[in-house]
Amino acid sequence: MSLLKIEGLGKSYTADKQILKNVNFEIKAGEFVSIIGPSGAGKSTMLRCINRMVEFNEGKIIFNHQDVGSLNNKELRKLRTNIGMVFQHYNLVPRLTVIENVLHGRFGYKTTLQGVLGRYTEEEKERAFYLLEKLGIHEHAYKRCDQLSGGQQQRVGICRALIQEPKLILCDEPIASLDPSSSKVIMDHLKSISTEMGITCLVNLHQVEVAQHYSDHIIGLNKGEVVFRGEGSELSAEQIQKIYETNTKDLIIE
Amino acid sequence: MEASYIRRTKDGRIHIKSGSKGDQVVRWTLIILLVLTVVGFLLFNYTGLELGSAIAETAYNLKVMFLEPTLSHFDLGEAVYQVGITLGLAFLATIIGAIIAFFLSLMVATNLAPAWVSRIIRIFVAVIRAVPTVLWVLIFAISAGLGSEAAVLGMLFHSIAYLVKAFSEGFEEVDKGIFEALKSSGANWWHIVRSGVIPTTLTYLLSWVFLRFEINFGVAVAMGAAAGAGGIGFELFMASGFYFDLREVGFITYSILIIAFLLEVISTRLKRRYFPATSN
Ligand SMILES: Nc1ncnc2c1ncn2[C@@H]1O[C@H](COP(=O)(O)OP(=O)(O)OP(=O)(O)O)[C@@H](O)[C@H]1O
Ligand SMILES: [Mg+2]
Repeated sequence: MSLLKIEGLGKSYTADKQILKNVNFEIKAGEFVSIIGPSGAGKSTMLRCINRMVEFNEGKIIFNHQDVGSLNNKELRKLRTNIGMVFQHYNLVPRLTVIENVLHGRFGYKTTLQGVLGRYTEEEKERAFYLLEKLGIHEHAYKRCDQLSGGQQQRVGICRALIQEPKLILCDEPIASLDPSSSKVIMDHLKSISTEMGITCLVNLHQVEVAQHYSDHIIGLNKGEVVFRGEGSELSAEQIQKIYETNTKDLIIE
Repeated sequence: MEASYIRRTKDGRIHIKSGSKGDQVVRWTLIILLVLTVVGFLLFNYTGLELGSAIAETAYNLKVMFLEPTLSHFDLGEAVYQVGITLGLAFLATIIGAIIAFFLSLMVATNLAPAWVSRIIRIFVAVIRAVPTVLWVLIFAISAGLGSEAAVLGMLFHSIAYLVKAFSEGFEEVDKGIFEALKSSGANWWHIVRSGVIPTTLTYLLSWVFLRFEINFGVAVAMGAAAGAGGIGFELFMASGFYFDLREVGFITYSILIIAFLLEVISTRLKRRYFPATSN
């Protein structure tokens, strides 16, 4: 049973340039899928079409039996609570504490008044601390986010996505601003989210090796088209060359 | 081929400015202002001006004013009370203005409001700001009569326009990643304002409010004189224009200076105490 199904997806920001062309793929619940591809291939655009942070022009996205394209505003907010998002630059509110930032993930469940008054239930707070502990940053709970390192901030970002109790987490280059060891910590956490909690992960990555190591499936995107779809082990040198349009020896692969 | 990317002056030196229209406009504005200033000085009416005695008499007046300040028409208690009235006028105009400006600027910031709403309010606000506070006070005096009501209304009007510009620019600086993150978790517009926009801009907003309060204090002094709004400004007007009492003018000026200084100290203190991150 697929959680996410994309059919004939097309997107253009301007009339003269098609960013995504006829993209088709399916993702099963609990899978860990990476999207790789050169800069400008449309990876970020692709992710943002799924929760309609970007409106797409053609095709159909079915998430959890719902037709994403046809939702009204209220239904869209509801949909977004089911889809967590993790960003390259963490996108936390720097002046607020870690715990406050984690609790922001609950807004989708709140009325305007509850949100404006900053009311959170005790269960929500317990859950926030539980998640912080799980990601190993509970000792920083009352620190301001701008006092944390990049790797720690990204873990706060993951907690914020998890407290939404999502079915799917979209990660847009979650490790692109991190050093190799924090990158590993983050990738390990994401992996365990999909294996232990059964939450599906769709991750944009720039590192082919990392994608191969962690993913159940890899999607190769080039100029808005899916040029590869398969397991990490199936990704041959020629395939990589096709995705990046360069010789493998001209690529940095760590 | 490569040369076509490098822009050179006629004598072959390389430009580092993009040479856009904006740069040109700035340059010509500066040149024209300079010329006007020089021409202006040449065109003054200098007849009857005896520079020597003018300087000497001014110096004498200043000496009387600032070295021999006394109160003759009212006592110290009254002076404090009048300063209080002036502070009150400024305070009212600033606080009410800040609250209204906050909501208006949410409708002006381009990252929070639709473009057409933003543009309409922006134009209104620009017009209000272009008219000086004193004129607004006089305009309101038509309906409210000269006095403190007109003064507060006029100051309020101008404060709103001023703060809307400052606030909305602050809002527009908020990292759009924060918007994206909150929106993608299902937050609505009010949630984003409450948890993304306000926490990141609060210190900035407050420092503009303090600054506006200082400005409004000065304006309130002037309004006391010009619009009969009462307060220390009115006493200043009486002392200088009616009694020609230079010593009292000196005393009042000192008291205004002290208040202005205190305001400065308090605002710096507050900032350091509550917003340590921004004051260093
Ligand atoms: N808001 C926008 N308006 C217009 N064009 C856009 C917008 N966002 C992205 N694009 C264009 O869409 C194309 C794909 O961008 P996208 O950010 O999806 O690529 P990407 O694969 O994520 O690249 P990177 O790996 O560098 O992040 C680029 O050519 C970009 O210029
Ligand atoms: Mg991208």
